[in-house]
Amino acid sequence: MKRLLVALALVVSACSAGQDGPTTITFWDNNGGPGRTPIYEELIKRFEAANPTIKVEYVGIPSSSVQQKYDTAIAGGSTPDVGGVTTSYLAHLVGQDALEPLDERVESGPLKGKLLPGLLETVRQTAMDGKLYAAPASGNLDVIWYRSDLFAEQKIAVPSTWDQLVDAAAKLTKPAENKYGFTIRGGAGSVFQLLAEAYSYSGVDKFYDGGKSTVADPRNAELVSKIAGIYKKSTPEADVNNSYTQMVAQFTGGTVAMMHHNLGSTGDVMKALGAQKVSAMPLPVGPSGKRTVVPNPTDGFAVFKGSKNSDAAWKFVEFLTSAESNGYWNEKVGQIPANTDVRSAEWIQKNPAVKMALGVLEDPATVLVPAPVYLPEYSSITKTDTEPLYQKVLLGQLSAQEFLNQLAAKLTTAQQEWEKRK
Amino acid sequence: MRTRTWAPYALIAPTLLLMAVFLVYPIASVGWFSLRQHTVTQPWKNGFIGFENFRRMLFEDQLFWQSLAFSAKWVVVEVGLQLVLGLVLALIVNETFVGRALARSLVFSPWAVSGVLTTGIWILLYNPSTGIFQQLAQWGIGDPGTSVLGDPATVFPATVVTELWRGVPFFAILLLADLQTIPNDLYEAASVDGAGRWRRFISVTLPHLRDAIVLSTLLRAVWEFNNVDLIYTLTGGGPANQTTTLPLYVARKAVDSHDFGYGSALTMAGFVILLFFSILYLRLSKFGSRA
Repeated sequence: MKRLLVALALVVSACSAGQDGPTTITFWDNNGGPGRTPIYEELIKRFEAANPTIKVEYVGIPSSSVQQKYDTAIAGGSTPDVGGVTTSYLAHLVGQDALEPLDERVESGPLKGKLLPGLLETVRQTAMDGKLYAAPASGNLDVIWYRSDLFAEQKIAVPSTWDQLVDAAAKLTKPAENKYGFTIRGGAGSVFQLLAEAYSYSGVDKFYDGGKSTVADPRNAELVSKIAGIYKKSTPEADVNNSYTQMVAQFTGGTVAMMHHNLGSTGDVMKALGAQKVSAMPLPVGPSGKRTVVPNPTDGFAVFKGSKNSDAAWKFVEFLTSAESNGYWNEKVGQIPANTDVRSAEWIQKNPAVKMALGVLEDPATVLVPAPVYLPEYSSITKTDTEPLYQKVLLGQLSAQEFLNQLAAKLTTAQQEWEKRK
Repeated sequence: MRTRTWAPYALIAPTLLLMAVFLVYPIASVGWFSLRQHTVTQPWKNGFIGFENFRRMLFEDQLFWQSLAFSAKWVVVEVGLQLVLGLVLALIVNETFVGRALARSLVFSPWAVSGVLTTGIWILLYNPSTGIFQQLAQWGIGDPGTSVLGDPATVFPATVVTELWRGVPFFAILLLADLQTIPNDLYEAASVDGAGRWRRFISVTLPHLRDAIVLSTLLRAVWEFNNVDLIYTLTGGGPANQTTTLPLYVARKAVDSHDFGYGSALTMAGFVILLFFSILYLRLSKFGSRA
């Protein structure tokens, strides 16, 4: 009992001290864990040293449960001051009126003109009113990780078109030795990756054409058939159930020679295989030769409306996206820095995957085809509704075109509803 | 005198309160949600829609009927095999032989393993690169890279075997306990009357075990119907929804798609089915009235 009273007294005194002492802001890391928490801890230390009147309280939240945590916090009125967000659920938070628009703050401060326009665009697109509800911090790009050592050993050229990739996959497959050329993501998260593959092949440069989804374009179906065609021939049979974990285990375990994922797996891949054995290439192109890229969700920082210290909160966001912090963070995680001043940093020259990705994103010939992640039904359409259908395609129970027709119909309906609410 | 009138109510009040909190309220709230459109990601659409969810479920949702049919197949196969194998195991470890204590503890140990851990063990066993089938392929049996969980032809038996491993001990424990209460006199009398091993089993053992069998199959059928952890972690209901049971479909709708209205309607369907079968089963077996 005595202890409880002491604790209570401490809490009370801490609260009252807060008024004239340093301001405390809470920061939720949306991908907390042994990989990223130490990076933020270092950045917070630097921030507090530069701003002695502000204290940052770090809360690391695993990425799998972060959306649910935000929902609960919004419902209960206990949102943090600053939160890490990605564009995949940003629209959901904006829809609940939880975030402050940041356009003016960016325009009137040192970040003006310093953030990659492509990333700003993907963040703006998620909001119905086109405002900026998060300061982008880091971009990502879909890549094919490949075993450069195996390619060199068997004198196979690195593919630049999907047909070359299919050929290479066949050459690298030796079922008797349990070696396969490629791995398909057939389980959780499959459709999101498949769409990136389909558009990179088809060269279709818009996700919607006059309110109608272009997903069912016959050229997209061609790619889906090609991938389904190599299932079990140049890929392991288990691929039909693959989520990220199984896929990356097959790749780092040496069973497969190529894996489609994004820069987010840099850490896992490099730690297991090392830079001598593995490299990244952009997704191949199709017969049109056009480079059409479905961008990956952009990571950024949002200021919550419930914040009582929004100026201090913004100061922290500004610090995190400044060239120095942004460079430090992206160097550690191996992703694309949003701050354009970081581009010339030395570490980028030494990181071929990030350099390649930046090259793709900054190439004027590259066309971005953003997926409609702003649709409230997007995740349920591309996961619960259609992941089992893609498995049917892989198992030969459904045609690629029929699968894409069903997906397109759902996406079109959802888009039309969204337009109506606008 | 007055105390007499309220005392009984006061005494049963805690029970009633607990039942209200843990039984009536959850069922009523699911019932209420099943009459509503309630999606977390689209709050502007939420509202009362009457029986629309049920109409959609019964007449438009093919996956509802498919998952229901799979649930039925799953329950019948699982409970049937578990009962037979459990009975066999119980009869074996009921005999006297050297090392019986060790055999008994080995037989019962899988029951102590949680569903998710069971999956963990079996995923490793089924792993196409390192599991038993890779080993078999090296000895020339089957093809290398065989993925029993990826092939629609083998995913059902593979899932059944995994759940059997965990479920059989449950029957074995219960039936063994009951076997040990059968008085030896009955067997002796039967032997004197000229009954052989088989006849003694049919006329003495089985009738004696009837209540235990009824109770354990009923309990197990309800549990197997509601089994989510093992199938979810082993196959996720796949590939291509081939192992999606009704409760798994509920989990996907409610938890993954945040569609709580429709998820509740699906739950009500499961609830009604289970209720109906529980009543029917108890009546047919005349449970508790050993005449």
